Amino acid sequence: MSASIAAPRFRVTQLVRWVTPTALILLFVIFAVASPTFRTPGNLLHILVNNFTLPAIVALGMTLVVSAGGIDLSVGTSADIAAMVAVTLMSLGHGLALSLAVGLGGALMVGVVDAALITVLGISPFLATLGVLFVGESVQQLATNGGTPIYLVSNFPAAGLDALAHGTALGVPAPLWIVLAAVIVVQVLLGRTPFGRHVRAIGAAPQVARYSGLPVRRATWLVYLLSALLCGVSGLLLAATVKSYVPLSGNAFLLDAIGAVFVGTTISREAKPNVLGTLIGVFLFGMLHNGLLLIGWNFYWQQVAIGLLVFAVLGASFATRRLQAAD
Amino acid sequence: MTEEALALRDIVKSFGATRALDGASLVVRRGTIHGLIGQNGAGKSTIIKILGGLYQLDAGRILIHGEEPRSVTPRLVEELGVHIIHQEALLVPGLTVAEALFLGNELRHGPLLAPFSMRRRAEAIVRETFGVSLSGNMLISELSAAQRQIVQITRALLNKPRVLVFDEPTAALVRREANRLFDIIRGLRDEGTSIVYISHYLEEVRDLCDVVTILRNGRDVATVDPRTTPMAEIVSLMINRDIHEMFPKQVIPCGKAALTLQSLGKAGAYEDVTFTLHAGEILGLTGLVGSGAKEVLQTAFGLTRHDRGQILIGGKPARIGSPGRAIARRLGLVPEDRRHQGVALDISVRENMTLASLRGLTRFGLIDTRRERGQVMSLIERLGIKTPGPDARLRDLSGGNQQKVVLAKWLSAKSDIYILDEPTVAIDVAAKVEIYRLLGDLVAQGAAVLILSSDLMELQGICDRVLVMYRGRIVRRLVPAETTADEILAAATGALAPLDKAA
Repeated sequence: MSASIAAPRFRVTQLVRWVTPTALILLFVIFAVASPTFRTPGNLLHILVNNFTLPAIVALGMTLVVSAGGIDLSVGTSADIAAMVAVTLMSLGHGLALSLAVGLGGALMVGVVDAALITVLGISPFLATLGVLFVGESVQQLATNGGTPIYLVSNFPAAGLDALAHGTALGVPAPLWIVLAAVIVVQVLLGRTPFGRHVRAIGAAPQVARYSGLPVRRATWLVYLLSALLCGVSGLLLAATVKSYVPLSGNAFLLDAIGAVFVGTTISREAKPNVLGTLIGVFLFGMLHNGLLLIGWNFYWQQVAIGLLVFAVLGASFATRRLQAAD
Repeated sequence: MTEEALALRDIVKSFGATRALDGASLVVRRGTIHGLIGQNGAGKSTIIKILGGLYQLDAGRILIHGEEPRSVTPRLVEELGVHIIHQEALLVPGLTVAEALFLGNELRHGPLLAPFSMRRRAEAIVRETFGVSLSGNMLISELSAAQRQIVQITRALLNKPRVLVFDEPTAALVRREANRLFDIIRGLRDEGTSIVYISHYLEEVRDLCDVVTILRNGRDVATVDPRTTPMAEIVSLMINRDIHEMFPKQVIPCGKAALTLQSLGKAGAYEDVTFTLHAGEILGLTGLVGSGAKEVLQTAFGLTRHDRGQILIGGKPARIGSPGRAIARRLGLVPEDRRHQGVALDISVRENMTLASLRGLTRFGLIDTRRERGQVMSLIERLGIKTPGPDARLRDLSGGNQQKVVLAKWLSAKSDIYILDEPTVAIDVAAKVEIYRLLGDLVAQGAAVLILSSDLMELQGICDRVLVMYRGRIVRRLVPAETTADEILAAATGALAPLDKAA
């Protein structure tokens, strides 16, 4: 009778969960040895601010979406639309607050389209958001004469915008505060609210969610809206940093965000998306970009290295889980 | 040439700890229609899957036309002329009727397929055998269940099998189509084909079969001539009823009306369904696949809509359009497909238990984890759930304990009307008894329980009343103390004439 209770398989599960942190530490040590510049506090802060904050905010939204069993390929579109709208308004002379708010509204519209395609028309999240990604690219190219950046002339709300990108509070750069806020929001939503629990149940077993009377549609809407909103924040921060809107620049977030979420699942006992794992994943990628640059690898090799890293982490994790299943 | 078309002798097959077949034998003489009957779980499907090479047997022998195949694989069995038409139509949904019929034996012009000839041949064959016209261009996914069955049977006939096995072929057919099928089967027998016919419908078996083998608990308990053996005897052979201590039945005085269905109807599913479930009552509902009983449960829980009639909760009309609304009216459903609909296997016991009641466990919009944990711990203790802990994944629990977690979910949601759909299928006996005891405790505390089951012992053992549905209607309202399992089964299989003025 007690044979019906399977003993928790600590041994192997623990092993899987250490794959990603080990990779992080290993790479850190390698870069620190190979490049003296890498290990300076200045550079480490540089990684945090320039290689971590923007993809982290996007990846936090993606963590919600993947938790609900979906995927959002339109993250770059949300970010770009927010930047395009806000920068255009500012260049036309509108105030900072209004421009940013309308920019976020633009990002939300992308989320509305995603959610409507998925819940109303029943299109799979992958195809729905892929479609939005393509349409979003065309919209941006049409709106910018085939992709001409819009630069903000220096006299205009530059001061406020600059504070957003380069200001500090209590000695900590403003973008890091924004990441912190996003982390708290997503962590609390996912971990502590009925909404987060529902999202996880929908992702784990959609039929059970339905048979338990959960508000599946509403949760799906919220998840895509939140993702779009976070992407919008990221897009606005990017625009503030470079003081311009460069069409299609948000797409760079997409693969890092998806990669980080899935790499992050390896640290969770249930192999589920989680905030800490996602942050570790984003930091891992950010460190890789920065470290490879410092040891002299060019941009294209960086992409190869990141691809290999994702394969290595996920491959190691799947292999161990298969071992575990064979136990 | 032997007289025995098929001989399965002393077949043993276990799945984990449960022994599905325990020395069952089935010997089919050439040119006969051989019926195979038994309750759910008696081993009918298992023995057929072993014959078809889908399961490997643990012990026993299989002879096909006197030959023992080297190994029993689906391919070898077909080469020996045995063709099985499985219960769930095994057809590729994306193919057309013509493609599905000729799959593997396509008509060709040289190296190229001959789609038009195949289409014409397909349509002609279906018309000849069934007397119905079916476009060869229709996709399998566009066909009704009956049409799919027709395609599958036609496909089997194309291979000119020597032994043809039907597993519940009429579940999806209407009367006319079923009669047509019986004519075809008789014609095949007269041409020398041997038929194995598995069915729940006793009347069909009586009318069609030359010999009937009755399976019970994985053994063949008798092989009889259905035309000379009284129906009652066959039924009692199917049922084993010496274990009444399995059912800890408490007698609770019936309370107020909890759930009332009034003349409920849904096109193609059920018709004029009226009953009242009272507080303190365990009401049994039974019927075969296609009887509409399952759809009635789904409507009551808001998963499907009804066309006619109304639902009352606590005596007042209620609109139940979704599971969410049903739960708000304190209904809870334990679905039949536990692993896909009942529990989320990859999340924890705790999260599964509170899934439908999180709103009541929040403080300032956040889940009060201490209260949640306390509630989960007390439910684990109250239901005697064997789990490594509240945070163990549900996958790591046994079937019986998973089922208790589903019940705990509704206890946590403070449900007072419990709807259970085959709650003890694939659960070991000890856990079954615990679930029966739990249901007894629930009604003792004023809850109402509606249980759909095809387990006659269970219905007799725990229910205060039993409603039997047949082809969409309630045909009998029985009190277990005053009835026999034979009567329930006879009503469910249509062997009794429906009562027109059911009280």
